[in-house]
Amino acid sequence: MSEVDDLVARIAAQLQQSGNASSASTSAGTSAGSEKELGAADYPLFEKHPDQIKTPTGKNVEEITLENVINGKVDAKDMRITPATLKLQGEIAANAGRPAIQRNFQRASELTSVPDDVVLDLYNSLRPFRSTKQELLDTAKELRDKYHAPICAGWFEEAAENYEVNKKLKGDN
Amino acid sequence: MERQKRFEKLEKRPVHLDGFVKNWDDEGLVALNGKNDPKPSITIENGVVTEMDGKKKADFDLIDKYIAEYGINLDNAEKTLNTDSVKIANMMCDPNVSRAEIIEYTTAMTPAKAAEVISQLNFAEMIMATQKMRPRRTPMTQVHATNTLDNPVEIAADAAEAALRGVPEEETTTAIARYAPMNAISIMVGAQAGRPGVITQCSVEEVDELSLGMRGFTAYAETISVYGTDRVFTDGDDTPWSKGFLASCYASRGLKMRFTSGAGSEAMMGYTEGKSMLYLEARCIYITKASGVQGLQNGGVSCIGMPGAVVGGIREVLGENLLCMSLDVECASGCDQAFSHSDIRRTGRMIGQFIAGTDYLSSGYAAEENMDNTFAGSNMDVLDYDDYITLERDMAINGGIMPITEEESIKIRHKAAVAIQAVFDGLGLPQITDEEVEAATYGSNSNDMPKRDMVQDMKAAQGLMTRGITVVDVIKALYDHDIKDVAEAVLKLAQQKVCGDYLQTSAVFLDGWKCTSAINNANDYKGPGTGYRLWEDKDKWDRLENVPWALDPQKLEF
Repeated sequence: MSEVDDLVARIAAQLQQSGNASSASTSAGTSAGSEKELGAADYPLFEKHPDQIKTPTGKNVEEITLENVINGKVDAKDMRITPATLKLQGEIAANAGRPAIQRNFQRASELTSVPDDVVLDLYNSLRPFRSTKQELLDTAKELRDKYHAPICAGWFEEAAENYEVNKKLKGDN
Repeated sequence: MERQKRFEKLEKRPVHLDGFVKNWDDEGLVALNGKNDPKPSITIENGVVTEMDGKKKADFDLIDKYIAEYGINLDNAEKTLNTDSVKIANMMCDPNVSRAEIIEYTTAMTPAKAAEVISQLNFAEMIMATQKMRPRRTPMTQVHATNTLDNPVEIAADAAEAALRGVPEEETTTAIARYAPMNAISIMVGAQAGRPGVITQCSVEEVDELSLGMRGFTAYAETISVYGTDRVFTDGDDTPWSKGFLASCYASRGLKMRFTSGAGSEAMMGYTEGKSMLYLEARCIYITKASGVQGLQNGGVSCIGMPGAVVGGIREVLGENLLCMSLDVECASGCDQAFSHSDIRRTGRMIGQFIAGTDYLSSGYAAEENMDNTFAGSNMDVLDYDDYITLERDMAINGGIMPITEEESIKIRHKAAVAIQAVFDGLGLPQITDEEVEAATYGSNSNDMPKRDMVQDMKAAQGLMTRGITVVDVIKALYDHDIKDVAEAVLKLAQQKVCGDYLQTSAVFLDGWKCTSAINNANDYKGPGTGYRLWEDKDKWDRLENVPWALDPQKLEF
């Protein structure tokens, strides 16, 4: 994919996110002015850095109060973790000696903006004998282009290759 | 033959109702050191594993590929494989070798090397190693809250009582699958009424379970099964790549999750490739590590009958728990399925984990009478509460369950029953009567409950999903019925899903929603005088000293 295509995909993903109430906007939740990676001393985030935790609509996590729920200022779409928070938790995990958890959170981070029903379909499509190789590769392309999820796209591509060799594609059973 | 009278009496003891078999290596009926288990080996070329445990890369199945790609710290692998397994085993049970140092080795082993290392340890050494390798300093446990009628009021009341007894996690499931959303809400509301901060789950089919979590009805999941042979993994309708992806799906919604595996599952499902239970379980543990999942429920689990039947099987079960923790993965150490007809033997089944302490001694102590346990019964249930607590008191061990008084039980059960009554009213679900609230408050099992219209309940449960009800509606229902403290607790739970603190290894919430995990409550055991000591945990020590059935000798009248 050319750089222009990549740029278009990024913008499209951002537009799609800003129009989708249940999605995390890419700007929300980024930690202001903090370049230093977080570690064990920054944990728990809710106690140590509540200012850095935002909801998907950009509210501060401390605005999730009973009063705001009752008066409708906060609703279900605010009660989701953002890519920025998963990034911080990933840093904490990796710096506490658990890099695999960080990799899991990186995949998860990409999935925060994918709608619930699509996430469930994605999982089902990876189960044995569900998808052809081409279907898995098409899904990878969609993840990359539509949801700007390159890590998850790579996961699907890797599965496609391995499922072909180890006979887990549709029709192999 | 004339019967020998003592042997006749012995035959009538409960232990003879259990099943036992001799080893059959080729069918995987062997705890560890199976005759077909591979010898440990690894070949790394240009950063890629080209051979592992005697198998060439071209012959790798999906599990081998996944572990070779993601599961092993290759930087230390050759050094570790070249280190004598006895030496690594020795380091594990030696208090003078730090946990961190051992993890450099354990995370760089192959499954065959791991099985070889664990096989060096006897039961006492496994206990020594486990108390050091457990990721979280404070040991805890988890409970089940279920009943055979899927009665929501009883689930809520049992959940509240267990919460008050000090457990940080509670799990429900269904007798009839369609009840799932209702049971999930009932255990959540009951647990928050019991102690704000307890997290709850509802064990159902993978997609349904994630769907409940997405609506905010659950806070974590653990019945995400992985297996040690390719054939059984496929029969379980997953691959390592689908399960690894599912793990990320949960994290993307801020939900804690752990995988499930355990000795005997492959033998039960008929495809062991002739390998021992420990070797196959080692593969499961490395799959978990590879997926970046923070925890694992293992230790026989629902297949405990298989390791329980072979020689040395209970040693193997403790060994697989130890291996999980030695990979720096949170361990919910089984003890969650009815194990034996013998009270002596079911105590023996859990005693290693009990003495050593694990992240969760049981991945489901039955917080209901076993007749109501829809997970097919647990090793310990509510009627064992006082025995279990007395063992904790006798040995000065925190087994994760604390005594409460009868008055406290009545009060908290009533509170939970009233809360779920309010939620049902607020959500337009079939009414919970005052008579049901009273029955759940004073009852012990589902026979004590008035019968509900199960057809209406099932329809209403499905309606929760089709109507798009979320946790916000639950919070509003509680608030509208003036049950503000429980409303606040359910809200705080939802708020924590935005923070992600409880996604870290061995994380749970203490009072005041303080998140404690292997990050800020790391196990620091280094021998006598270090690590978790019950008598330094004043609140729990006092509660055990003052169990309701202990007399005060200074106030006795002779």
